[in-house]
Amino acid sequence: MTPRERFRKAINFQPVDAIPWAENFYVETVNRFFSEGLPAHEINVIDWKMEGYTLLNWPAFLGFDPNSYFGCINFFGCVPLIDLGPIPRFKQRKIGETPKYEEFIMESGARSRIVKKGSRETTWYAMPQFYSFPVSDKTTWERYKERLNPEDPRRYPKDWDPDAYSEVMNQYQAGPTVLAMTGFYGFGAELMGIPNFNLAFYKDPELIRDMAAHWEYFTVESIREAVETLTDRIDMVFWWEDMAEKHGPNISPKLYKEFLLPHYKRVTAFLNKNKIHRIMMDSDGNTKPILDLVIEAGITGHWPLEVNSGMDVRTLSKEYGKKLFLVGNLDKREIAKGGQYMRNEIDSKLPTMKETGGYVAGLDHLVHVEFTLQRFKEYADYIKTKLAIE
Amino acid sequence: MPDLLDEICSALADLSGPERIRALINNALSQNIRISDIVEKGLRAGLQQVGARYEAGEYFLAELLFAASILDEVMQFVGPNLDAQATQKKGAILLGTVRGDMHDIGKNIFKMMAVASGFGVQDLDVDVDPELFVQESKRIEPDILGLSCLLTTALPEIKVVIDMLNESKIKNQVKVLIGGNAVTREFAREVGADAAALNAVEGVDFCRSVVKS
Repeated sequence: MTPRERFRKAINFQPVDAIPWAENFYVETVNRFFSEGLPAHEINVIDWKMEGYTLLNWPAFLGFDPNSYFGCINFFGCVPLIDLGPIPRFKQRKIGETPKYEEFIMESGARSRIVKKGSRETTWYAMPQFYSFPVSDKTTWERYKERLNPEDPRRYPKDWDPDAYSEVMNQYQAGPTVLAMTGFYGFGAELMGIPNFNLAFYKDPELIRDMAAHWEYFTVESIREAVETLTDRIDMVFWWEDMAEKHGPNISPKLYKEFLLPHYKRVTAFLNKNKIHRIMMDSDGNTKPILDLVIEAGITGHWPLEVNSGMDVRTLSKEYGKKLFLVGNLDKREIAKGGQYMRNEIDSKLPTMKETGGYVAGLDHLVHVEFTLQRFKEYADYIKTKLAIE
Repeated sequence: MPDLLDEICSALADLSGPERIRALINNALSQNIRISDIVEKGLRAGLQQVGARYEAGEYFLAELLFAASILDEVMQFVGPNLDAQATQKKGAILLGTVRGDMHDIGKNIFKMMAVASGFGVQDLDVDVDPELFVQESKRIEPDILGLSCLLTTALPEIKVVIDMLNESKIKNQVKVLIGGNAVTREFAREVGADAAALNAVEGVDFCRSVVKS
C-alpha cells in the first residue's frame, strides 16, 4: 500500500496493513531541529522553477520536507491551489514601530504587533498579536465582501488545467490529496476577532446571517471547478475551524444549529455530490458538546483532538463509531517528555485504535518547538514499530 | 422589592438584553431601591448565574461575552446614579500575559468578566517582563496577580515571576492566579501559584474568594 492508499483506506474505515502516521511541523521546530543537527541537505526542497517574471528557469527554495525524512505523512503534501483569501490582498506593510515591536497591516487586513526579529531568543515570538480586525459591522463587512468574489479568475493557478493537475496528483502517493478550506466559524473569527465575532451572534445576528450566506456561496463557487473536475481524486477536505477552548466550544450548540448548520449542510452536500465524503474538521479544544451537530453538518473526521481539553480517541470512537474518523490525540506533552512517558502514551491508544479502525496516528497538534530533535527521533522510531497491523 | 432585584438578576442570567434590563432598573429606581443593591443583588448576582451556567455546560464563551457586554452597557446607563458603595471596587487585580507570549484573548475575556464583577483591573497587556509584574505589584499592591499563558514554551516565565515575588518578599502580600490554555492545577502547585483557573469563570470565582477572605 502506498501512504496515500493507506491514508485513504484508514479514513474510510477500510482494512489497512498499518495505521497511517501524520504530522505537521511548525517552521520554528524545523529550525530548532536544524540547530540540533537535522541534515539540511536532506530536508530542504529546491526545485528548478520558472517564477513567471522572465523566461529563465532557476533553482528556487520551496521550503522543508521533514515528513519524508521522519517517515510521516504531511496533510498538505498535495493540495489543489485554490486561493480562498481576499482578492486583492491587503498590502502587507509596516505601520509603526516601538523599541520592542513592529506593527503591520497583514494581508487579511488585520493589524498585528510582532516582536522585532533578533530582539529575543524565543522563536515563538514570531507569532503576532492581532489587535484590530477588518470587519466590525455591516459597513466594513460589505466593503470586505467585495474581496471575496468567487468568480475572480485569480482564485485558480495561472497554469490551472484539471487534466494536467489530475495527472500530477495521481503521481503523488506520499499522502492524501487535500482540499483545504475554512469553516464559517474560522472565517468569521479571522475577520472580526474571536470576542467580537462571538458577540455578534447576539448583538448583530443579521450580520452573522449575511456573513454565513456569503461564506457558503463563496466557498462552493470558489471550489466548484476543482471539486467537479477532480471529484474523488480529492481524498479529504481539511476544514479549519478552531472553534473551541478547553472548557467547550466557543459557541453553543443552539447557535451552531441556528447559524452554521444549514450552511454547512449545503456545502457538504455539494462535496458529497462530487464523491467527496471525507471532511475533517480542524479544531483545538473540547468540541464534544457540538460533535453531534458537527456530524449532522456532514463532517466526517476530526483533528487534532487535544488531550489537554479532554478529548480521547478511545471514548470518541466508542461513541461515534464509523460516523467520525479520528486523527491525532497523542498527547504532545507526554510525547515530548520522551522515554516511558512517550511509550505509555502510544501504547495506551494505538492497540484500541487498531481494533476500531478509522484512525490516523499523530500528535494532538502540530509538532511544536518544545520537541528536541532527539526526542522527536525517539518518538518517530518508536511509533513506526507500533503501526503495523498483524 | 426583592422580587424586582430577582427579576433583574434573572433577566441578565437569561441574557434578556440591555433594553429589558434598563426598563427593570428604571422600575427599581422609581421604587427607591438603592442603586448599590441593584448592582450587587441584581446585576452582579445575574452575572454569577451566567458563570454557573457556563460551568454547567449550558452557556459557552459567546454567552459569557454577551452577559459581560450587557452589564457593561447597563452600568454606563446607571452611571449617573451610582453611589459610593456601588462604585467601590471589590478588589484589585494586576493582570498580564507573561513574557514570550503574545496571546490575549483569554486574558481579555477574564478581564471583561472581572471588571463586570466589580473588580478594578490593571492590565499590563501581553509579553510582560517579570520585572514589570513585580514593580507594579509593589506599586499598586493588588489583591490578586493574574498571569496568563497560552504557550507551553512560555510556562517557565510564570515561575520566574513567582520567584521574583519571593525574592522581593512580596509573595505573601498578593495571591497569584495563573490561567490560560497551557496551565494546569499540577503546574500551579509545582511553581507555588495560589490557584490555576481553567477558564474565566473559575478565575473570577477565585478572585471573589480572595477578597471575601
